[in-house]
Amino acid sequence: MSTTTTAASSIANEIQQEVMERKPFSIVAFLKNRWFLYAISLTAFFALWKYVDYTRVLGNGIAAPEKVVVAIYRLMIDTVAGKSLWGHTWASLNRILIGFAIASSIAVPLGILMALNRYVNAVVKPVFDLIKPMPPFAWISCAILWFGIDEPSKIFIIVVGTFVPCLLNSYMGIRLIEPQLYDVVRMLGGSRRDEILQVGFPAAFPAIFAGLQISLSIAWTCVLSAELVSARSGLGFIIIQGMQLARPDFVLAGMVVLAFWAWATTLIVTYLEKFLCPWKRETSLA
Amino acid sequence: MKSNNQPKIVCQNISKVFIQKGSQRVHVLEDISVDVKPNEFVVILGPGQSGKSTLLRIIAGLETPTTGTVTLDGKEVSGPGADRGLVFQSYMLFPWKTVLGNVELGPRLRGIPKKERREVAQRYINLVGLQKFEKHYPHQLSGGMKQRVGIARAYANNPEVMLLDEPFGQLDAQTRYFMEKETARIWETEKRTVLFVTNNIEEAIYLGDRIISLQGKLPGRMHATYEVNLPRPREQTEMKFLELRQKITDASELVL
Ligand SMILES: Nc1ncnc2c1ncn2[C@@H]1O[C@H](COP(=O)(O)OP(=O)(O)OP(=O)(O)O)[C@@H](O)[C@H]1O
Ligand SMILES: [Mg+2]
Repeated sequence: MSTTTTAASSIANEIQQEVMERKPFSIVAFLKNRWFLYAISLTAFFALWKYVDYTRVLGNGIAAPEKVVVAIYRLMIDTVAGKSLWGHTWASLNRILIGFAIASSIAVPLGILMALNRYVNAVVKPVFDLIKPMPPFAWISCAILWFGIDEPSKIFIIVVGTFVPCLLNSYMGIRLIEPQLYDVVRMLGGSRRDEILQVGFPAAFPAIFAGLQISLSIAWTCVLSAELVSARSGLGFIIIQGMQLARPDFVLAGMVVLAFWAWATTLIVTYLEKFLCPWKRETSLA
Repeated sequence: MKSNNQPKIVCQNISKVFIQKGSQRVHVLEDISVDVKPNEFVVILGPGQSGKSTLLRIIAGLETPTTGTVTLDGKEVSGPGADRGLVFQSYMLFPWKTVLGNVELGPRLRGIPKKERREVAQRYINLVGLQKFEKHYPHQLSGGMKQRVGIARAYANNPEVMLLDEPFGQLDAQTRYFMEKETARIWETEKRTVLFVTNNIEEAIYLGDRIISLQGKLPGRMHATYEVNLPRPREQTEMKFLELRQKITDASELVL
């Protein structure tokens, strides 16, 4: 990016470019390069962050990026309320896993049953439709009243939040199956049971998995909101502690670690899907 | 096995009216009577939207006719069954199964042990020329290859009657011509009673012992029957071929 010396040559370049319609290596092509744009974007983001911290426009409400890294490091070694960062991460993750397991083990079979049997559908659907539009956080007060401030109320929020996408995706996964695929099984002499085993489950599998994936990211939001309300452990607790101690580096550290784990767990599920549905490998790997 | 003069399939005065939601009626087929002799290759030729797929699905037992009956070896057809093999217009392969998994599905559903059904499947995979592609998934195959799998899958279940619903409708002209040759070859090696649906006159003449043409515009009705007395393998540029083609074209409202 030197200015004066290359000015002449860059003008010459531009002229040449007009003559030769498409140059394989030009400044424009370089500027359009994906990785270059990624680098620009990230640099600008961190520069802005650093600048905001430097000018103190947000007062003491923000910590510089490197301070956040130091905070993460310190939280890993020191303890807050008796637990290191690892302990708190595990506390959140543990809640998510329990809530997620409860919700999916009920919602997925129920969604499949609703799609396969219209009587089950007729019984469950009205209640489900009533509860469906309720944001999971709306349940927090109820959860605390019913289950107290300990683990069960947090797990309850996660169950409620992840139940809906799990059920909806399983239901739609079965309902949207191409009906002629069942005809294939019938023509080959298969029974109703064969239709469900050979077509129903495998064909709905990707949709069910998509439901699990959505549920997982919702679970992270749920656990965070539950922990923000009341907790003695978890990443949400660290964020709240940081706020109460006026330590923006702790707040941001908690956020960064949370984002990392939400991303990592989603990635695990994505790879699990690729492993379990090899037939989708081409289509889902973008 | 009955004597050779006894028809394999008899369709008697079939008509079909679909009742859609809101009691709207769609009259799709009117008074269709077809019979097919054992090991005969009969082509049903009709323009788009003339009820061809519906007729085939009725014979397959996937739909019930509004009036009329379908009999197979003298017994009335009341549902789908392994004695008929159906090749679908849009392939209908299971994307989660490999080529081998798709082809061996019929024998597998009938509880045939693994070793045996693998052998059967392999034989038909070879017959349709897909050896070395056993482990491929359908999305890794071209359209022509997909339909080969569809044909092998139907054959591997060892049906007495093969029903093919515009199997090459989605292929380009060149691949289509190639697949027609393959179909003739496969039929010569593995003789079956075949009902083949198409909207393509050349395809009909190239493959059929007999062609039954349907009139366009719903409801589909019988229009004419043509015997194709040409020696196999046929040539699309033969004089007799072209004459018959002209005759059918003149007689039908098919736009070419
Ligand atoms: N289950 C159904 N319910 C209502 N209408 C139907 C049903 N199945 C087919 N039809 C109607 O029957 C008509 C004929 O359909 P069919 O698929 O048999 O024609 P076709 O000759 O095979 O057409 P194509 O050449 O496009 O394959 C269509 O207009 C379709 O809307
Ligand atoms: Mg059709």
